[in-house]
Amino acid sequence: MQRKTIGIMVGIAVLAGASLPVIADTTPEDAKDYRTAVMTSLRGHIQAASMIARGLIPNSGQLLGHAEGLAHGAAEIKNLFPEGSAVDDSKALPAVWSEPDKFAAAADAAVEATMAFEDAAAGGDPAAIGAAFREVGMACRGCHDNFRESDD
Amino acid sequence: MTTSASQTTRRRPAVALAVALLVPVSAFPNEDLKAKGKYLLHAGGCISCHTADEEDAPPLAGGHAIESPFGVFYSPNITPDPETGIGGWSDEDFVNAFWEGENPDGEHYFPSFPYTSYTGVSRDDLLAMKAYLFSIKPVSRENEEHDLWPIMSSRFAAGVWKARFFEPGRFVPDPEQGDEWNRGAYLVRHLGHCGECHTPRTALGALERDRELAGNPELTEDESAPNITPHRENGIGRWSVSDIVYFLEIGMLPDGDFTGSSMGPVIEDNTGKLTPEDRRAIAQYLKSVTPQ
Repeated sequence: MQRKTIGIMVGIAVLAGASLPVIADTTPEDAKDYRTAVMTSLRGHIQAASMIARGLIPNSGQLLGHAEGLAHGAAEIKNLFPEGSAVDDSKALPAVWSEPDKFAAAADAAVEATMAFEDAAAGGDPAAIGAAFREVGMACRGCHDNFRESDD
Repeated sequence: MTTSASQTTRRRPAVALAVALLVPVSAFPNEDLKAKGKYLLHAGGCISCHTADEEDAPPLAGGHAIESPFGVFYSPNITPDPETGIGGWSDEDFVNAFWEGENPDGEHYFPSFPYTSYTGVSRDDLLAMKAYLFSIKPVSRENEEHDLWPIMSSRFAAGVWKARFFEPGRFVPDPEQGDEWNRGAYLVRHLGHCGECHTPRTALGALERDRELAGNPELTEDESAPNITPHRENGIGRWSVSDIVYFLEIGMLPDGDFTGSSMGPVIEDNTGKLTPEDRRAIAQYLKSVTPQ
């Protein structure tokens, strides 16, 4: 009986999982909210990592978690901007979609920089961490300068 | 007292050493001067403004558009091309442009060339910058006409504006402050000309000096320059010196965000290229201005 119940539950779970892409009806608003959430998480990791990289907060191994968070988030960037998700309050500039190659290169630069930072964080050498973090910052700025509306 | 032969002999290695130390310096004085000039060119923001926006644009050959409430200015070619650049300029011509806001023909510059700030830059620094500029490859590129409101578009109007608002004069270090503060003041007020964007302007475009660095809400039609005084609510009073230094180096705000703005090229070509000591001097100076 128990086994049967579990079997049914697993079956439902598998069916639900399999049908997710079909039932997921991502609106442009959802896409924008999701990318805002991912970008906000990146910002948190960046702020925390910068404080450790600058020596304001001691690194007792927690930097690696922030570095991994950055690398995972950066790997998502390319998928965060589906066509048509430039809703009114989105700060994404039209260039994200009108210059896809340039945007992809900027996103790739972020992936590369965050992966190198992850390696540096795993290595633990403060000088290497500082240098690698600087590159992460340059990649973030490089993309925001060209593809995100200014706050001002 | 006579100098014995042995004393003379003993002195020779010292003389030889002194000569050896001097030779590399005196043989390449221009290299040192040019390196200094290149650094100062970064510190002065010359490269981002005098290079057109196209990706393959030749550096310093002009053509960058500067939007203002009075129209669009196009930066001129400052490569040493004798026809279209500054190849024919003397040292005095060069210094006079910065100190007095005049071209070699005695015509007035529009204040889009920030001589209102550059007037404080030292002659030594200016001549180092000229030495570097005259060492780069000349590029033949005609300057573009500015696209300004008709009333503002004459050099005569620029002269009237200057007579009313321009105060020429070199930077004088404040003896009550330390070297770091004075270096920061020199970079912020003069060479780096931060106030040209971050200090509010009157309707006639003059800087409101008593509101130094309090922000310019109308930098262009769609961009404002933030208040960078140490006011905790209106400015950057919550930023530590480390936060400011880091922002100037890589463009990161203390909360981990990166604003896409016209500060991007400034970080890229100007503040990001400075020594850590100069960035720190800027930060120390910014922390000292009147919070407003």
